[in-house]
Amino acid sequence: MLRNRPCGGKPRPRCPVSEMAIQVENLAKVFRRKRWASGSDIRAVDDLSFSVRRGEIFGLLGPNGAGKTTTLRILTTLVRPTSGAARVLGYDVMRHALDVRTRIVVVIQEQAAELLLSVRDNLLTFARFHGLAGPDVRRRADHVLDILGLTPDAGRKPQDLSGGFRRRVQLAKVFMVDTPIIFLDEFSTGMDPILKRSVMELLRKEVANGRTIVLTTQVLTEAEELCDDILIIDRGKQVARGDLNTLKLLTEQVYEVALTFDRAPDNVDALVDGYHVVRRQIAQNTLLIALQESESRVLELVSALAARRRLLRLEINGASLEDIFIALTRKETAS
Amino acid sequence: MTALTAIIAREGKIRATNLTFIFWDLFYPLGYLLVFGVGINASLGFATDPGVSYSAFFLAGVLSMASFGIASNTSWSFFLDRDNGIFYEMLTYPMSRPQYLLGKVLFNIGVATVQSAITITLAASLLGVPLRASGWPLLTAAVTIGTAGWFFFYALFALRIRRNDAFNTVTSIFYFIFLFASSMFYPLDPLPRALRVAAYANPITWQVDVIRYATIGMGNATQIALEGVAFLFFTAASFFAAIAALRNQE
Repeated sequence: MLRNRPCGGKPRPRCPVSEMAIQVENLAKVFRRKRWASGSDIRAVDDLSFSVRRGEIFGLLGPNGAGKTTTLRILTTLVRPTSGAARVLGYDVMRHALDVRTRIVVVIQEQAAELLLSVRDNLLTFARFHGLAGPDVRRRADHVLDILGLTPDAGRKPQDLSGGFRRRVQLAKVFMVDTPIIFLDEFSTGMDPILKRSVMELLRKEVANGRTIVLTTQVLTEAEELCDDILIIDRGKQVARGDLNTLKLLTEQVYEVALTFDRAPDNVDALVDGYHVVRRQIAQNTLLIALQESESRVLELVSALAARRRLLRLEINGASLEDIFIALTRKETAS
Repeated sequence: MTALTAIIAREGKIRATNLTFIFWDLFYPLGYLLVFGVGINASLGFATDPGVSYSAFFLAGVLSMASFGIASNTSWSFFLDRDNGIFYEMLTYPMSRPQYLLGKVLFNIGVATVQSAITITLAASLLGVPLRASGWPLLTAAVTIGTAGWFFFYALFALRIRRNDAFNTVTSIFYFIFLFASSMFYPLDPLPRALRVAAYANPITWQVDVIRYATIGMGNATQIALEGVAFLFFTAASFFAAIAALRNQE
């Protein structure tokens, strides 16, 4: 049970001591249908409980409509929960919303920029909301513009920039302030791979400096590379929780097999029939299969496939986060 | 205080990016007074009281119309912010919902005050409208509270209506009803009873009458006081309703 620290009521709390960056308990959010609309209420978040330690990168994963964004919107005080409790650095998101807002920076899923202000003014205006102004902030803005490759466009308005550049402007705000918590809702949307890599590096540095990141993403390799702790949710409920290794254990022997032949294999369907295939993909002469089987069964299938065509390359790996994700969310759907 | 100054600075920067905004903000009521007021005055020779020209009578109307127009335009900016995505991001900034609305309204009160000062000065110097210096405190209060009241009123609709075209329809209807069923363009006494009753129930009549009393001394002091109090209630009710609408943005 999340207990109210002495911060309840007036006067406002100074700073409740919380070892956890985020605590969520039995959180639920139901979007009521309008009286005139058809259909039933939508239970976007359903009895969700988790906590996030300070100084880690926490990934909230799930298929479309799983409730990731709603959960994030509750934590960032944009949406009020129907029931349950959520605290950010010990501050209740409902009762001490302003205290929460002073300690967070949010990159929302939608592109968000002041289209009529220059890129530099976007950053300076944002900083002013956090009480930061003056020469130091201007210098910091110049530095942030530089690290995100925005210096040549500093004087331009976001309305004249591409979607990817607007996303950079949005993300640049994260580095303009030192709020202890960063929320990123699918932050890499519209970014090219080189920028994404450098942003991921910058985010790791922020965490090394003591900041905490909570992110949602559909790009599972991103979560695999960044996150210390992962929560997979589906239909508002927890499906699995832990670091990557813990999640791999949960999926019970999922292997990813890549076979490259001299020619494209035929009759693959007949061969894999009878095996538990999580996903399968053929590209040119390469067959990629994720299997949920014992080691001997995996080797048996590999031998059968190798007998069909000359095998040029074979690679067998443990499950990727994508395999785990598919296996777990499928299981949840079936149940 | 940080939040309020940040919002005022933001609004100022956005306006400063566009000269049309600045021109429209500052000179639009004056233009209305010069074109419409002078035209009516010259062609119809309209006068309500002996010695009161239509330009003098209409001055209160254009000042109220300016409050009304600024409020409508600023409320529409919620749609612009929503389309840009910045609206929801701003709701995560370190400010309360009332601060957000107050910051916006304070900036607009500043604009309305400068606009009124320009309009009054040029109305007096170009059109010879006689002004009462003793009425300036009341005039300032009426412009300030008027701008705030109409902004909160419009914000309520801008925040509840999610579609830009629907909001534009609503504002067009409001312009028609509020502006024409009021004492903005003509005195109410000669009007048919139904229209007169509708006009007296219209908050813009309350604001116009107070400003008219402050600028040229026209009207009954008791009635003006009652209308002023009614407008204060209207402003307070609109403020709380707008806050509730802002809190319900999900």
